Amino acid sequence: MKATRRDLFKFAAGGAAGLALTPMPWRLVTDTALWSENWPGIPRPARGEIRTRFTHCALCPAGCPVKARCVGDQPVSLRGLAGRPLCAFGLTGHHLPYHANRVSRGDPEGAAQAVRAALSRRGANESVAVLDLRPGRTASWTYRRAMGALPGGLYLAAQSGLPAIDLRAAKTILSFGVPVLDGWGTPANVLAARAQFRLIEAEAVESHTAMLADEWLPLREGSQDALASGIRHILTAGAAGIPSGEAAERSGLPEATIVAVAQELARGDAVVLAREETDAVTELNRMLGGRAIVRRREAPAPFHWTRTAAPVTRFDAVPDQSIRALLIDESVSDGYFPWDAVERKLAPEATVVVFASSRAGYGAHAGFVLPAAVYPEIADDIPAAIDSTAATFRLAVPLVEAPATVVNPTRFVAELAGVDAGDALRERANAIEQSGRGTVLSYTDSRSTPLRDIKADAFWKILHEGGCWEDEARDQSPGEPRASAPAVVAMTWEMRMARGPLSPLVTKLYQESNLRVRT
Amino acid sequence: MKAKQYGMTIDIDRCTGCGACMVACAVENNVPPVPEGANDRKGITWIRVFPINNGAEWPGRQSAFVPVLCQQCGEHTPCVSVCPQQAVQVDPATGIVGQMPERCLGCRYCMAACPYHARYFNWWDPSWPAGMEKALNPDVAPRMRGVVEKCNFCHGRWHAAKQRAAARGQQEIDPADYVPACVEACPTGAIEFGDLNDSQSTVARTAGEDHSFRLLEKLGTDPKIHYRSKRDWVRRVAAAPGKEEAHG
Repeated sequence: MKATRRDLFKFAAGGAAGLALTPMPWRLVTDTALWSENWPGIPRPARGEIRTRFTHCALCPAGCPVKARCVGDQPVSLRGLAGRPLCAFGLTGHHLPYHANRVSRGDPEGAAQAVRAALSRRGANESVAVLDLRPGRTASWTYRRAMGALPGGLYLAAQSGLPAIDLRAAKTILSFGVPVLDGWGTPANVLAARAQFRLIEAEAVESHTAMLADEWLPLREGSQDALASGIRHILTAGAAGIPSGEAAERSGLPEATIVAVAQELARGDAVVLAREETDAVTELNRMLGGRAIVRRREAPAPFHWTRTAAPVTRFDAVPDQSIRALLIDESVSDGYFPWDAVERKLAPEATVVVFASSRAGYGAHAGFVLPAAVYPEIADDIPAAIDSTAATFRLAVPLVEAPATVVNPTRFVAELAGVDAGDALRERANAIEQSGRGTVLSYTDSRSTPLRDIKADAFWKILHEGGCWEDEARDQSPGEPRASAPAVVAMTWEMRMARGPLSPLVTKLYQESNLRVRT
Repeated sequence: MKAKQYGMTIDIDRCTGCGACMVACAVENNVPPVPEGANDRKGITWIRVFPINNGAEWPGRQSAFVPVLCQQCGEHTPCVSVCPQQAVQVDPATGIVGQMPERCLGCRYCMAACPYHARYFNWWDPSWPAGMEKALNPDVAPRMRGVVEKCNFCHGRWHAAKQRAAARGQQEIDPADYVPACVEACPTGAIEFGDLNDSQSTVARTAGEDHSFRLLEKLGTDPKIHYRSKRDWVRRVAAAPGKEEAHG
C-alpha cells in the first residue's frame, strides 16, 4: 500500500478528532490554567517537629481540656480529651488569631486620657464602671480592686453569684429557650447526666435542643412568663400566678399540656432554666425547691484582694444616665446586655472604651475600641461553668504569641486606678495552694493528686501544663434561686455566630450546609 | 496480612447535630472555607449533617440528624466506574475509596454518579485568611482548584498509623492509632470506626445489630457506613428520602 499525502492529512485529522475525545486536552486546559496562574495558589503546610501541649479552651466557661498538636510552637489542631470532647468552636480555636476582621489597632493612650478626663469632670452622683462579661475570673478580681480604688468606681457583671445547677440531682428540667443540649454548661457533664433527666424545652422555634428534648413546647414568642405563671397557679392551687386557661391563651399551648407539665414538675427534683431569667421563673424555682440548685464556693483569692475589692453591682441597680466612663471587657463574654440597656445607664457624652477582638459587639457603639488578645494568645483563668458544683481553677495557656498591638484590659484598668495587678494569676494560685483544699488533675500524666501533697511551685507548673484544680466535694447546701440582672442575655450558638469572632471554617455549618442558621 | 474493610457505624439516635464532626474533618483535611457568597452547593464538607424530620406537625413532630459522608461503596462503586482518569480507586488492603487529585481532570462525572452526593468540587483555589496557612495540618496536602475531593477516612492518619506501626516493628496498625477526625470529635460517641472484617471489632458487631441499615441499600453498592436508629420513620427516610420527609 502506498501512503499518499491525502492519507497523511486523514490520519492527522482523525488523530486530532480522537484526541479531543480523550481526557488529555481537558487535563491540559486545567494544568495550563494552574501552571500559568500568577498568585500564590496552593499553600504548603509547614513541617517540623510535632509536639503536644495541653491547655483549656477559654471560649466558654465549660473550659474543656485541650490537647494541642503543634508543629514546633504552632498549633495545627486541637482536640479534647477522653470523655471531654470539644465543640465545633473549640476545635477551631487556634484559627481565631488569624481572623480577617480582627481589630488590630487602637489608641490606648487616647483612651486612657479620655477616661481620666471623664473622671475629672465626674458629677457627684456619677460613676466610672467596668462591665465584665465573664465574671469570676482572676481578671474580675483585678477589676473589682481597681474600681474599689477609684472614687465612684462600680464593678458591673453579668450573671454573678448565681447558684450552680447540679444536673445529677435533676429529674425534670423545664427550659425556657436555654440550649441545654447545644453548648450550655459543660457539654460533657450534660451528656453524662442526660439519661437521668427529662427535658421539656419551651421555645418558640424548633432549635437543636427543642429537636432533641423529650418534649418540645412551641410557645408563642414572649409568653415565657405567662407559662411560668400559669404553672405556678396550678402548683399553688390558685394562690399565685395566672389561671392556666389564660396562660394557655397567651402561650398558644393547650391547657392540658400546661397542666401535665405542672404535674410533672410537682413530682420533685425539678428545675427551671431560662435564657432571660425573670421574677416569674425565679419564683417558680423557689417554689419547686429542687435539689438541683446548689450554692457553690468560689475558688480562694488572696485576702488583700477581698478587702479592697468593690462589691458586685447589679446592672439594673445602676441609676439611668449615671455612668460617666464605662470600660467593657468584651475580650471574652458569656452573656451580654443589649446596647439600649447599656446606653440608658450612660451619662450624656460618656466615654465608652471597649476591649474586643472584633467590632461585631459593643465596638460599634464605643468611642474607643482597643484590640484585645484572643484565645489562645493570652493566659487567663476560666471560671466554673453553671453546671459545676465545685469551684475550679484552670488556665488557658497561650499557645501562640499575641500581636504587639493588643492591649491587656486588666493591666489597662489597673494602671488607670493605680492598682498593682502584678502576676495576679500566680497570686491566686498561691492562695488556692495555701487553702490546701481539693485535688489537682494533671493531663500530661492523667494523675489526680490532693492539693495538700503538692508544693506551690509544682502546683503552678501543673497549671501551666494544662492541669486543673477542683475544690473538694462537700455537702451541697441548697442555693437560693436568684435571677440574674434582668437585661442579661445568655449566649447561644446563634449569638456566638453573630457576635464572633469565629474561625472561617465555621461556615461549614451555616453557609456550606444547612445545619445551622446564622442570625 | 488479611485485608481490612474499614467502615463506620453511626447511631442517629445519639447524634445531636452539633457539627463538631464537620469542623474537625475540615481542620484535619485542610478543607478550605468557601468565599463569601458561596452556598451549600459549592461548599466542601466531606461529612455533612442533614437535619430531617418525620413531616408531622407538633405535637407529633420528630426530628433527627443524619451525618452523610462518602459511603465507601464496596461493590460497583459508581465513582470508580465512571472516572475517565482512573483517579478513583478502591484500595484492596483497606477497602477505602481513594481520590487522587493529581489525576482528576474535574469532569465531575463522579459527582453525578454518586448516589449519596458525597463528592465535592473545588470551585476556587484553596485559600485561608492571611497567616492561617501556618495552622494547616502538615500531613495533608491541600487540593488545587478544579478537582473533586471527598472523605477518605482521614488517610493521612492511616499513613501516620502505618509509620508508627513500622517504628514498632509491626506490620499491623494498632486500631487505637487510626481513628478518623470525625469519630474522635463526636461528643456523644455516635460514630464508631473499625475493621468490618474483624468480627471482634465494635463496628463489626454493631453493624449487624437490629435497627441497623445503610443508605440506599437497594442500589447494591455495598456501602461501608452503617447507620442505626430505633425510629421507624428514620429508617424509612434513609431507604428513599422524599421531599416531604427530609429537608436540609
